[in-house]
Amino acid sequence: MLIFRKDKKYANFNKISMFDIVLIIILTIVVLSILIPFINVFVISFTSQQEYLQTPFLIFPKKPTLKNYYDLVKDGRVLIGYRTTLIILLIGLPINLLLTTSFSYGLSRKGFPGRKFIFYLVLFTMIFNGGVIPMYILIKELKLTNTIWSVILAYGINTFYMIVMRNYFSTLPEALIESAKLDGAGEWKILFRIILPLSMPIIATITLFYSVDRWNEWYYSMIFIRDANLQPLQLILRSIVIDSQVRAHAASSGAILEEFKFTNGLKMCAVVFTMLPVMCIFPFLQKHFVKGVLIGAIKS
Amino acid sequence: MSSIRNLAKNIWKNRMIYSLLLPGLVWYIIFAYGPMGGLTLAFKTYKASKGIWGSPWCGFENYIYVFRDPSFLASVWKTLYINIGRVLAGFCAPIILALMINEIQFHRFKRVVQTVATFPQFLSWVVVSSVMINFFGYNGPVNSLIAMLSGRTINFLGNGKIFIPMLYITEIWKTTGWYAIIYLAAIAGINPEQYEASKIDGATRIQNILYVTLPNIMPTISIMLILTIGNLMSAGFDQVFNLSNAAVRDVSEILDMYIYRITFQSAPDFSFSTAVSLFRAVINMILLLTADRAAKLMGGEGLIG
Repeated sequence: MLIFRKDKKYANFNKISMFDIVLIIILTIVVLSILIPFINVFVISFTSQQEYLQTPFLIFPKKPTLKNYYDLVKDGRVLIGYRTTLIILLIGLPINLLLTTSFSYGLSRKGFPGRKFIFYLVLFTMIFNGGVIPMYILIKELKLTNTIWSVILAYGINTFYMIVMRNYFSTLPEALIESAKLDGAGEWKILFRIILPLSMPIIATITLFYSVDRWNEWYYSMIFIRDANLQPLQLILRSIVIDSQVRAHAASSGAILEEFKFTNGLKMCAVVFTMLPVMCIFPFLQKHFVKGVLIGAIKS
Repeated sequence: MSSIRNLAKNIWKNRMIYSLLLPGLVWYIIFAYGPMGGLTLAFKTYKASKGIWGSPWCGFENYIYVFRDPSFLASVWKTLYINIGRVLAGFCAPIILALMINEIQFHRFKRVVQTVATFPQFLSWVVVSSVMINFFGYNGPVNSLIAMLSGRTINFLGNGKIFIPMLYITEIWKTTGWYAIIYLAAIAGINPEQYEASKIDGATRIQNILYVTLPNIMPTISIMLILTIGNLMSAGFDQVFNLSNAAVRDVSEILDMYIYRITFQSAPDFSFSTAVSLFRAVINMILLLTADRAAKLMGGEGLIG
């Protein structure tokens, strides 16, 4: 087994002891307990309703089928969810990045009046916030309810990401900025031409984090948006799987289950649809976030 | 006079920096401080026609009603009860996992464990709850197995007694790997000479963990503890809201769900809801500042300043 090849670092350090074996067993159990619920979701999404109900303990369907996926696309709601979520992501993400990079670069510069004040003003929002009701009333008074702008604008800067970025910018050598200034470059030009190209790892990390946040957003949409055609994917999934739970319980005793529109197979297809993009960008996230966390966790 | 002129000159000289800060600052003022200003509604009687600013003041009248509402007090206790259990479960698990991952001597296996364990954190609670509802549901694999062994099924998510442990289990399932990464980052920063020294002293691996690794990650542990305690009042909405159903309403209505219910699921009284919101925000801040102070007193690192 290739994955058990020894790390060079430990090559002549320790022999494999009882300790290692126990460790590997425990961690294998950990890995399996995380994977099995996902595997089960995938398996059910390829199983016909008939086979699902007839097999008491389903490991893999005898006749895998794509019918569930076909039905889900035909139902169309998931596609509406995809469209809304993509629009929110495509407009929201650039706004997040522009606000966060310019603000954190500004804060990383030294020696301008009010720097400390602005920093504490921002830190305060991390320990105290108005909560959802004043936010809802604000959005309502701005006449943004039932538009995607409510969701886009309500999440502009994540203060934690902003501070992580500011800390990164602070480590860049001052001399770079000074020499660019001598050449007559303004601060915005310095940010885009010099700072950002040097900060690609942190920009990538924060971009991925914001994308995942945007993708996973459902709470603001649930409160601000009532229009069914403007609901993001997460809320569509919620209504398909979670809200229908109670009805399913009521129906599970009788034959009504067959008529039930969202069979388990369909529901699991919706879950797969919703998490697939996250799965696709996860390897990139994985590559970058350890560095990002390292810089951030070591302290503001 | 000259100091004011100097300040003005200094501000003018740095005008480009202010232009960098401006967009973000405008956002913070509208979308973070705006709602904070809206909290004044807690001391007003909300009239939709007059807006937040025009509504008349009423002093602490709203709070009299808030503290008379038995569901409010019940939701406060439920929040603390659920979240303290979550702190105990969800706080220790990542430390243990990180220490175990750190001891693995096989590079590839280490990477597999880390990758798999971190993944659920990047899914929303809507997705995780859907996965769990399937996994623990009537027809799910867990109940199929139990039914095969004993002929009975267990209603994991519809039984008030089992529901709270289910919250702990799913919380650990989703977040442990991610927080373990934070501790692993701290462990990576430990000076290897410390391990060399303890090796010369003849320490076993368990002793290494207890006397070298653990003390070195204490600052990170204290920061994480502050954050968890600071969130005692606010954590868990996403999880509880998506996992719960009508059958477990009695045990699951935490403060945020109470706020959501009185605001969006019945005839809303915004003043009343805001009064509850303000209560929650103040308690949160007190918890966070207290935890911060305590961490500093114990010699750990604080979060603020």
